[in-house]
Amino acid sequence: MNLAAPLQAVVDELSKFPGVGAKSARRLALFLLRQPPEQVDLLIEALTGLKTKIKFCKICFNIGEEEICEICASEKRDQNTICVVEDINDVIAIERSHEYNGAYHVLGGVLSPLNGVGPEDLKVKELLVRLKGEIKEVILALNPDTEGEATSLYLNRLIEPMDIPVSRIARGLPIGGNIEFADDATIGRAVSGRGKF
Amino acid sequence: MILKSLELKNFRKHNDSKYEFAPSLNYLIGGNGVGKTTVLEAIYLISTTKSFRSSPDSELTAFGAESYEVISFIESFTSHKVRIYYSKQENKRVYFNDGKPLARSADIIGKFPVVVLTPADLELTHGYPADRRRFADQVISQASQAYLNILLDYNRTLKQRSSLLFKLKEQRSRSFLDQLEAWNEKLVNSGTQLVEFRRRFITDFKDYLTESYSNIMKKQETPQIEYESFARQDDDIKKVFAEKLAENRENELRRASNLVGPHRDDFVFSINGKSLRTYGSQGQHKTFQVALKFAQFFYLKDSLKNTPFFLLDDVFGELDKKRSLAISRYLKEVGQAFITLTDFSNHEFLSHDENDAAIFLSEVAAG
Repeated sequence: MNLAAPLQAVVDELSKFPGVGAKSARRLALFLLRQPPEQVDLLIEALTGLKTKIKFCKICFNIGEEEICEICASEKRDQNTICVVEDINDVIAIERSHEYNGAYHVLGGVLSPLNGVGPEDLKVKELLVRLKGEIKEVILALNPDTEGEATSLYLNRLIEPMDIPVSRIARGLPIGGNIEFADDATIGRAVSGRGKF
Repeated sequence: MILKSLELKNFRKHNDSKYEFAPSLNYLIGGNGVGKTTVLEAIYLISTTKSFRSSPDSELTAFGAESYEVISFIESFTSHKVRIYYSKQENKRVYFNDGKPLARSADIIGKFPVVVLTPADLELTHGYPADRRRFADQVISQASQAYLNILLDYNRTLKQRSSLLFKLKEQRSRSFLDQLEAWNEKLVNSGTQLVEFRRRFITDFKDYLTESYSNIMKKQETPQIEYESFARQDDDIKKVFAEKLAENRENELRRASNLVGPHRDDFVFSINGKSLRTYGSQGQHKTFQVALKFAQFFYLKDSLKNTPFFLLDDVFGELDKKRSLAISRYLKEVGQAFITLTDFSNHEFLSHDENDAAIFLSEVAAG
């Protein structure tokens, strides 16, 4: 059955979302159709706000409502330590831990020749400019997969001659997790990368 | 581990077949084209989520059908139900282990270990290094998830790096060259781990091979297996790897391909110190191929503390009586095995007793 054109348009738009297939898109679109108009207006307003009010921080490329994000603007945070992450989601995850009190740098991806992503497509140049300031440590917090590791190695090579200590986040067992339930690769890394007690 | 039963729905020729298996030897008997090998293929699919004939799911689906289904009950420490369902329309296959869908194919590797011996194994001793690497990778991956993860990571690195080398061939820019340095380091890191794993594996595997070979050929023949890599036994692998990469840099850039690393390793077989490839007789080749699979079986059994499924496809057709008899006797030590035969009457000498099952497949049963 062909959907009415206005409905199909919404379905097609929703299908563009990551993780949303044709079926889920149809379900969401029909849900919206059943909503009272005020509810849909709220969504439209929220979406418009997203694009007009949210800005990318000029320093770290995190999101915020000002030109400079809250973290970069904060005097309480250690602006001389930079934690490099792949994307904004990682900032949110690390912030939730309340363990880190430094600044961030959002690369906006990782190196992947297969997908045609090189350093020019990432905020690498911007990172190097920041490192010319008084930086006392760079923490690489990229995902421990093939591309994430290659990107860490790449950045480490660039930063090494600048004489700034580079560290990498530890990899190992999740807190509250059981050793017996962790996969072999995680346990292997946790054992080989063990710390002094 | 014991495979209790297997149900095939619209799986190749099997529209609706159901088999109950004996915990010992299971002879699958029938003429050409009745779907004997397909039964083995389904068992292999349960263990690896892949077909050993490397057929895509669409080909595994019976002609005219929209989906296939494989259901099996396995005793492995406890009872397990594995169900595999494929829908042609969605081109999606789901693997359910005890009702739970599997997130990643790699997660099941080694859970229900499998060893398969088919006529295609002649490539093991006659074929290219790639055939032997595939064999070693399969054995080690089933024994160790850690190895499988390193292997997947290494292969991904190779793909990324070759894509970068290709770009460099078109345009030798500073940026690409800097990236290459990083990918080199990544390649050396995971490649070194692969070589270390393979070295440890060969050291252990040698004894299993000597044992299995002597069970098939009770003669003064000693099989050897040597691991041939870019680094020699006492070398610092990481250092040598980096040096070889530097030496081959121009070559790699010119040819835009990965020329150094464990993806080019080989395993060299010999008997009494003489190269099997160069001096081996047909009989020695065949014996070696069979011995490798028995060695794989016992190696996996010991490392996993679990007996793999042993699948033998059309093996006795090509062997002389003496070897066939020795192998069928040796199979008694294995436990459960699945053996395809075209005709029992030609193989009456094969060892079988009342505990073994003879399952006859016919055109009618296969639908």
